[in-house]
Amino acid sequence: MSDVPFKNPGWAGNTGEYDLTEDQVRGDEFVGTRPIEGGHPSGSASYPYMLPDKDPEAPLFEGPYKDRFEKILTRYPNKQAALLPTLGLAQEVRGHVSPHTMDGVAELLGLSPAYVRGVATFYTMYNKRPVGRFLIQVCTNISCNLCGADDVMGAFLRYTDTELGETSEDGYFTVVEAECLAACGFPTCVQINSRYYENVTPADVPKIVEHLKAEGAGGD
Amino acid sequence: MAYPYVSDREVRVLSKYFGDPMQRRVDTYVERGGYQALKKAFEMGQDAVIDEVKASGLRGRGGAGFPAGLKWSFMPKQPTKPHYLLCNADESEPGTFKDRELLRWDPHQVIEGVLIASYAIRAKQAYIYCRGEFFETTQILAKALEDAYEKGYVGKDIMGSGNDIDITVHVGGGAYICGEETGLMNSLEGRRGQPRVKPPFPAAVGAFGMPSTVNNVETLSAVPHIVTHGGQWYRQWGTEKSPGTKLFCVSGHVNKPGNYELPLGFPLMDLINDVCGGMKDGKALKAVIPGGSSVPILDAQECADCNLDYEGVQTAGSMLGCASVIVMDEDTDIVKQVRRMVQFYAHESCGQCTPCREGSAWMLQILKRIEEGRGTEEDLQTMLDMSRQMTGTTICVLSDSVGAPVVSSINKFKDEYLALIRRGERVGVA
Repeated sequence: MSDVPFKNPGWAGNTGEYDLTEDQVRGDEFVGTRPIEGGHPSGSASYPYMLPDKDPEAPLFEGPYKDRFEKILTRYPNKQAALLPTLGLAQEVRGHVSPHTMDGVAELLGLSPAYVRGVATFYTMYNKRPVGRFLIQVCTNISCNLCGADDVMGAFLRYTDTELGETSEDGYFTVVEAECLAACGFPTCVQINSRYYENVTPADVPKIVEHLKAEGAGGD
Repeated sequence: MAYPYVSDREVRVLSKYFGDPMQRRVDTYVERGGYQALKKAFEMGQDAVIDEVKASGLRGRGGAGFPAGLKWSFMPKQPTKPHYLLCNADESEPGTFKDRELLRWDPHQVIEGVLIASYAIRAKQAYIYCRGEFFETTQILAKALEDAYEKGYVGKDIMGSGNDIDITVHVGGGAYICGEETGLMNSLEGRRGQPRVKPPFPAAVGAFGMPSTVNNVETLSAVPHIVTHGGQWYRQWGTEKSPGTKLFCVSGHVNKPGNYELPLGFPLMDLINDVCGGMKDGKALKAVIPGGSSVPILDAQECADCNLDYEGVQTAGSMLGCASVIVMDEDTDIVKQVRRMVQFYAHESCGQCTPCREGSAWMLQILKRIEEGRGTEEDLQTMLDMSRQMTGTTICVLSDSVGAPVVSSINKFKDEYLALIRRGERVGVA
């Protein structure tokens, strides 16, 4: 068990065959260190984060976010190709991609609102309606499922006191089922906002939920 | 070293520095010989690089197993339009988790592979299409790429060679189908990730209508090693038709799940019993899916003498796919797991082709009915008929992938279906 059990109760570094800290496994030296304005344009689309603080009325885009948007545009032969990264950026600042937001993105990229609607609704990661401060995505696909993902999912619903796909009354949690997150060797994998939690068991769930509640305002 | 466990039977070429956080730093990578293969490639010239990769016999690691060098050779030799290299990092086949490890432990190895491939196919722009869920992984890659730009390994006049290659990290929006190469190209262009009809093939009309090549992360990670040591060197591992090493992603009911780099042709039972420390809780083996959820299930008997190379797995009755070995013990509810896989495909079907869109949804309904004890024996025949109509009748192979677990499970584990169906009848009568 890690010394910081709330962070990632069974993170995969502590198998006894490696002497690594959680930070080293996650690459914290690299993750979250690049500036909001996007850093080098080659990686400007490597955002967005999913942030706890969401402002559905945030402008598209201002300040450093505008810089990042413009850097993204420089990397493609046409504006349309920037659509997915731009939708991601819009979701980062607003928390979800409403029809209103899609229209805004359409205008920015010179595309028709109907076209953007058609593309945005094709992809699952663009939240079509508001989500809680913490979007909890539990993988229940085969590899995790074989190792008890349904129980982990049940525990998250119980401890966050919410229904699948709904947001808890306090606005903190939205729990959804995720398709394979490509961490099949570390079951059950749960993505909470931008972060992967691996080797999660039902017994870990209350600790994770309590931690998120405590972090509340500032949690990642 | 494969992470998070180590086995002394591994051959560590691509995974040599897994578990070593220093490897992410450009200085460390260069100290350990990094970017020398790129330099060598520039000296060799494009055609010699392609010939060397051809000689190695390296086959695409994304699932199809198409020879990488041959794929590159389809690209025009005298470019009249921009060429694009697309690195497929949209890893989303259930059971597969190797590309994430390659990207987060050794990002420069991927970048160097992308550069060499771009050079070989005469592309000045490459995109690394990362699945959207990889927030953490993608940032490791982006930071590494930024460092490589700063050191002059990417961008204009790389290492004074006169070659310009730009790389851009692109992020997806969460759609399995974007891992299909033409779906990926559509998605990159800002469209719905629906696969395209082939021909035209990407080497003629690809991303943005230009000649393009799509390669998997693992394929490209092997390229620097092949350029450095030569194609024959790579052939010291594996079989005649499936040369080299391969990352095997083992998940499910084993004691030590994880990625293991092994020579192709490695015996499946040795992988489970020796490399992975045997079955969890000492239970008996029931079934294995050897190549990710899209390939047929093997029962314990078929596993017994299955060798893990492209031909060996085919002989055993399945496909190697991306070598995602999902192990199931004697207590596994096969019907439930098949239902879960079909549920995935029904969710991920892009909706273009009727057999897939309708077929996957109907199949899911039937499987749910059986699982709840309301199925009939005719349902099994219906599903077999549907699978036949869903195979080879659509633009891409997602539809075929629905049939693979359904047909193989009905053929090999029919008793489990019948038990559920007959118990259902009894419940109905009562």
